[in-house]
Amino acid sequence: MIKILTPFEKISKLNKTLILIGWLVLLIVIWFATTAGEKHLFPSPAQVLTGFTDLYKEGLVVHIFNSLKLCFISIFLATIISLFFAYAWPIPLLKSISEFITKFRFLPFTGLSFYITMVIHEARTMQVWILVIFLTTFLTTSLIAVIKDIPEEEFDHAKMLKCTRWEVLWQVIILGRIDYVIDVIRQNLAITWMMLVTVESIVVASGGLGFLIKNSDKFMNTGRIIALQIIILLIGLGLDAGINYLRKALFRYSKI
Amino acid sequence: MKHEYKETLLYVENLSVAYDGNVIIKDISLIEKDVVRDGVDYTGQVIAFVGRSGRGKSTFFKALTGLIPLHSGKILIRNFENKEPNAAKSVNEGDIGFVDQKYTLFRHKTVTQALKFSLRKTTLSNTEKDAKINEYLKEWGLENCADKYPNELSGGQRQRTAIIEQLFSSDQFIVLDEPFSGLDVGNIAEVKKSFELLSNTSDYNTVIFSTHDIELAIELAQIIYVIGHPTVNGKKENYGTIVAKYDLRDMGLSWKDYCDDHQKLSKEIIHQMMIS
Repeated sequence: MIKILTPFEKISKLNKTLILIGWLVLLIVIWFATTAGEKHLFPSPAQVLTGFTDLYKEGLVVHIFNSLKLCFISIFLATIISLFFAYAWPIPLLKSISEFITKFRFLPFTGLSFYITMVIHEARTMQVWILVIFLTTFLTTSLIAVIKDIPEEEFDHAKMLKCTRWEVLWQVIILGRIDYVIDVIRQNLAITWMMLVTVESIVVASGGLGFLIKNSDKFMNTGRIIALQIIILLIGLGLDAGINYLRKALFRYSKI
Repeated sequence: MKHEYKETLLYVENLSVAYDGNVIIKDISLIEKDVVRDGVDYTGQVIAFVGRSGRGKSTFFKALTGLIPLHSGKILIRNFENKEPNAAKSVNEGDIGFVDQKYTLFRHKTVTQALKFSLRKTTLSNTEKDAKINEYLKEWGLENCADKYPNELSGGQRQRTAIIEQLFSSDQFIVLDEPFSGLDVGNIAEVKKSFELLSNTSDYNTVIFSTHDIELAIELAQIIYVIGHPTVNGKKENYGTIVAKYDLRDMGLSWKDYCDDHQKLSKEIIHQMMIS
């Protein structure tokens, strides 16, 4: 008993699972208890369940599919553009451009979306490019950080094997850190997912989870809002775990 | 055992390296020749550099391997492509192999892929390359590691792979920066075996290494250089240079079991290190 309250103490796997189950049960009990009365700020489990059912009837699966599609298209495009900027970073002439791109991550979302609206008129394309522009700044920042973290010894090692400077770039940075690209995507997935829901609620196109949450918000349907939040959280966690599994499965040498 | 000196393999003259006007090493000169012994097929050269931390050993190694530019001086090595006696060439990046303390390898290549990559600039056919790789894997005890990535290898296996890789790519010169640091007894024995293998393979193989273990340097090397801060006109300078040289071959201490004379030499080297 004292062990689980003492800092840095090691506990068994079984005890860890029991602690986790204990906290979950406590959370559910608190949820039931605090929402049992007439007046309550947080929706009761029954309301959330009704929210789930309503959402399902309104085509929740299609909305999830639309959100995921938007997510994958944006990540794919942003990754390609970010990789170009990141791989250009070691080239002295292009270094400043790559670093300049990373600074854009401090720009506010609304201001830039105004200009995008003037250039792109189709709502879905607009959603994609708003996400791509913002994701590119974050992904480029993370990818450049990965390159900066490569120890000098790895570059020296390639040079000692008579690699030209382009071969060093190819072997050490591009091939040698390809698994890190997947990890960078995973790390930025939370930002992507959060931005995606916001973009879907600002620029209404072909539905999506953001559209649903905005609609529920408008009508103060708290049961639906929490149901949607749970769905968004679970999909986000699922994507995170899936990408991590993919990295380990594809790259045996990857031990990040 | 009788030995004689043949061709010059390595020639360093007045080598100096400075960063932003700050001199790190200065006036380093040395000549290493091929040594041949009676009744022994191959005798590679094993040269040790010792000295206290911050005296410029690593900088010297980086300059020697062409990784950093020289402020002044020159480095020449035997040009093995030219059959003329004593044919020499200036050192370029990759001519002298370099194995760092961490035994760095390409993290995305298996042992076989890494060795194949290091042979890419040779004129060997693919079949010959495979045969050469298999021969070395067998000889260096790495047969079971052929398809393993660096993160799946032990320290000793990584080190052997790194040495073979550099041996395949460079011109028979290998520099090892503190190859014994942080190794346990078993791994030290493995590295010693690697040195033996290198020495017994070719007369021209030249191994240059740095260490803080003086006894190990005496046991393995035929010549020991002490790098330290010199005292000039009574004033201790702030740059590194060779302050003492001990040729164990001429002293009759090479290729023989450890004895009292080796112990005396060890004390002498430690003294030199402490005063520089």
